[in-house]
Amino acid sequence: MKKTLLIIAIFIATGIAAQTKYQTGMQKAFNLWEQGKMTEASQLFERISKAEPTKWMPAYYAATVETLTSFGLKDEAVLTAKLTKAQEFLDVAKANSENNPEILIAQAFLNLGYIAFDGQKYGMTLSGQNNQLYAKALQIAPENPRVILAQAEWNMGSAKFFGKSTAPYCAQIEKAIELSKKEKIESEFYPKFMLKRAEEVLQQCKG
Amino acid sequence: MKHILFILLTFCQISLFAQTTISGKVTDAKNNPINGANVYLDGTYDGTSTNDKGEFSFSTSEKGTQTLVISFVSFETYINTADVASLKNLKIKLRDDVNSLDAVVINAGTFEAGEKAKVTVLKPLDIVTTASAMGDVMGALQTLPGTSTVDEDGRLFVRGGEAEETQIFIDGIRVFTPYTPSAQNTPSRGRFSPFLFKGISFSTGGYSAEYGQALSSVLQLNTIDKPEEEKTDLSFMTLGLGVGNTQIWNNNSFSINTSYINLAPYQEAFPDRNTYTKPVQSLNGEMVFRHEFKDNSLLKMYGAFSYTSFDVIQDDINFEDGLRFGLKNRNLYFNTSYKNKFANNWRLETGFSFANDHSNIKIIDDSVTDIENSMHFKIKLKKAFSNRFKISFGSEYFITDFNEDYTTESNKKYNLNFNNNIFASFAETDIFFSKNLAAKVGIRAENSELLNEFTLSPRASLAYKASKNSQFSLAYGQFYQNPKNEYLKFNQDFKAENTSHLIANYQTTKQGQIFRIEAYLKDYKNLVKYNDEYPIFDSNFNNNGSGFAKGIDVFWRQNGKIKNTDYWVSYSFLDTERDYKNYPTAATPNFASKHNLSVVAKHWVEDWKSQIGFSYNFASGRNYTNPNESGFLNKKTKNYNSLSLNWAYLIDQQKILYFSVNNVLGNKNIFGYNYKNTANANGNFDRQAIIPSADRFFFVGFFWTISDNKKTNQLDNL
Repeated sequence: MKKTLLIIAIFIATGIAAQTKYQTGMQKAFNLWEQGKMTEASQLFERISKAEPTKWMPAYYAATVETLTSFGLKDEAVLTAKLTKAQEFLDVAKANSENNPEILIAQAFLNLGYIAFDGQKYGMTLSGQNNQLYAKALQIAPENPRVILAQAEWNMGSAKFFGKSTAPYCAQIEKAIELSKKEKIESEFYPKFMLKRAEEVLQQCKG
Repeated sequence: MKHILFILLTFCQISLFAQTTISGKVTDAKNNPINGANVYLDGTYDGTSTNDKGEFSFSTSEKGTQTLVISFVSFETYINTADVASLKNLKIKLRDDVNSLDAVVINAGTFEAGEKAKVTVLKPLDIVTTASAMGDVMGALQTLPGTSTVDEDGRLFVRGGEAEETQIFIDGIRVFTPYTPSAQNTPSRGRFSPFLFKGISFSTGGYSAEYGQALSSVLQLNTIDKPEEEKTDLSFMTLGLGVGNTQIWNNNSFSINTSYINLAPYQEAFPDRNTYTKPVQSLNGEMVFRHEFKDNSLLKMYGAFSYTSFDVIQDDINFEDGLRFGLKNRNLYFNTSYKNKFANNWRLETGFSFANDHSNIKIIDDSVTDIENSMHFKIKLKKAFSNRFKISFGSEYFITDFNEDYTTESNKKYNLNFNNNIFASFAETDIFFSKNLAAKVGIRAENSELLNEFTLSPRASLAYKASKNSQFSLAYGQFYQNPKNEYLKFNQDFKAENTSHLIANYQTTKQGQIFRIEAYLKDYKNLVKYNDEYPIFDSNFNNNGSGFAKGIDVFWRQNGKIKNTDYWVSYSFLDTERDYKNYPTAATPNFASKHNLSVVAKHWVEDWKSQIGFSYNFASGRNYTNPNESGFLNKKTKNYNSLSLNWAYLIDQQKILYFSVNNVLGNKNIFGYNYKNTANANGNFDRQAIIPSADRFFFVGFFWTISDNKKTNQLDNL
């Protein structure tokens, strides 16, 4: 009896150890991200994604970091190379988790990378795509604060451009902040709501 | 029991300590270290990034054969499968990714528009926001170098070639009657709405072996693969109305664009020099259906219908009561294309098109009925052996069935008809020797049933990237085209007309700016000659004509250096002479001008939510024959000048108000002279200037897009 228990215990321990590998890896990548070591963080996410080919989160984060670091680039060759790479990761994430609202808004964010770089060249097709992506994400997850915030921010941009009132979007941002406080995240490493950022956006909206 | 535990523990210990170190150095092709490359064993957590010396070292507990992966942005990913123990002190050179944006591009002769293009010359919006273009694809292309301003015609005249020398393709399949018909000296427009296309590639010479039956130029229009949004577009214009709609469901989408144009109110308000007994009316409809299959292959069906009618009396020195020209034209075009990827990097593209063009023409009291049925079938296969080596090959078949019934005033009837069928095959290879050197070599074979002639056209181009921002290209090719319908209907004992192109190009690009200069030499052979004033059924035809065109095209575009301003300048120098048609000697034809200049600028005014733009076109004088003096094409008209303005006001995201005026300064442009057939009492021939039907042209439009996307644009859903 004791023998069996022990063997089971060992098995469990090994099992836990294997799981921890993913957890430590992800944790390490987030730490690198926090330290501003974006390349290392993105590369670690890339490695985890290759080692865990059925999980969507490592690929999703690899794409997000690549996209994030493409903003402000001046060289179109580097920009497209980075965003093409980000797109490959996002496609992996999509294949592992269909109709995931987090991935949908990550796609819209990636498109924004192109639009921000050259609105005339990319805006015509990609802004339509973004409208569609936000609408779809909201349909799937009407109470997801990240989706609401991302969409409000997107709409706020165009409202500002056309000199229209941003008031309805401020309300949406407030709603997102409200919802984020109630939100219960069950799976580990699931994308978090960036409260600080939301408050900044709210400030911009009201200002 | 204790033993087992001990053994187990020891085993674990061993496995912990039995680590292998993997190390090496990563450089680019020139041995420069690559900092920050991602190095890892595929499918494991073991890996690291290279340091600033390009070095890496990490340990792994993996055993046996593993796959080492090294990836870095804008390099090809390195993959090495080997025993982990052997992965030590590696020296790895990463190869440049030739697909990246900064790799060399084979571009001699070609202008690309659209976001897929590596170097964009025109952006999709330019077609609708260029002042002189008036929403016409062809109009926007006429601001690029290599084109001549032939304002009384409106079609594309490229590098000393006639308008018929340019072929137009939609999704790789030929369009047979791309222009709307128009009265004499009134510009015609392209039949397509610019909103259905995502990319345009305009080649002014040296194009791929995939394209034939074009002596001068090829224009490729690619329809949108997948529309993103359901929407309705409404346009209210001084000239008519337009409605468009896009629907998306499952893997299908359907877009339709229709317009009705009636020039009567406009001509009432701004009468021109013609007398319209029936004003210009046209009804146009275009639709695209797209279906994406489960295997990601794509089927597109494009259909267009247009109907144009008018009846006009134009002043003519040879006809006291003016020259009557009446036209009813209906045109049906259908184009289906299918593309699929299969097996190991194979790609299949196939399609067919069908065109039916039916015209009833009245010239004075003669009447002409032209019916042209044409088809094009094409299949193309492409295989990528690697990023650096690709081949493509295919075959196509063109069918043209032309029929003309001519009824004279005295009720004499003539019938003219011919079948012009051509079979062609082509093969081409794309080779990247490195990120800086690439070549494309191809050959095209054509067999014309009508002329009973077989032709072979070799094509080659080479591009070399000299520095980060600049590159040189060279292109050479032979091009054949059957004589135009106007001749074939009277005589079929011809050879194909021929040109050769030699092109040298230099291009330098930076963020927001592009400069290119291109020199070319074209040699024409086997051009059609005839002996009458106009080709008629008993003219003597031969193929003994020849000619040349040489010149320099310069293009400069800059965006954003001047705040909120985007502008481009095109200049073309053209030196050309031809001995063809009924020319007694070689001369510069009347459609060619030596100097052409276009300046287009757009400025965004934030406070007014407006884009204000202008375009200025200049063309030096064109030849005409003055029969009062000796010689042929012995005189030149004065220079052509036209300044156009436009103003687009964005009322909101979805409503745009648009104004434009062509030739705002009202320059009296002259395209040539029409001389009286008989001399006057003093023995001189009187003349009449060929001028546009109106000096200025005004356009006001209101464009409203209603997005069906209720979620995004209803602000009050909170």
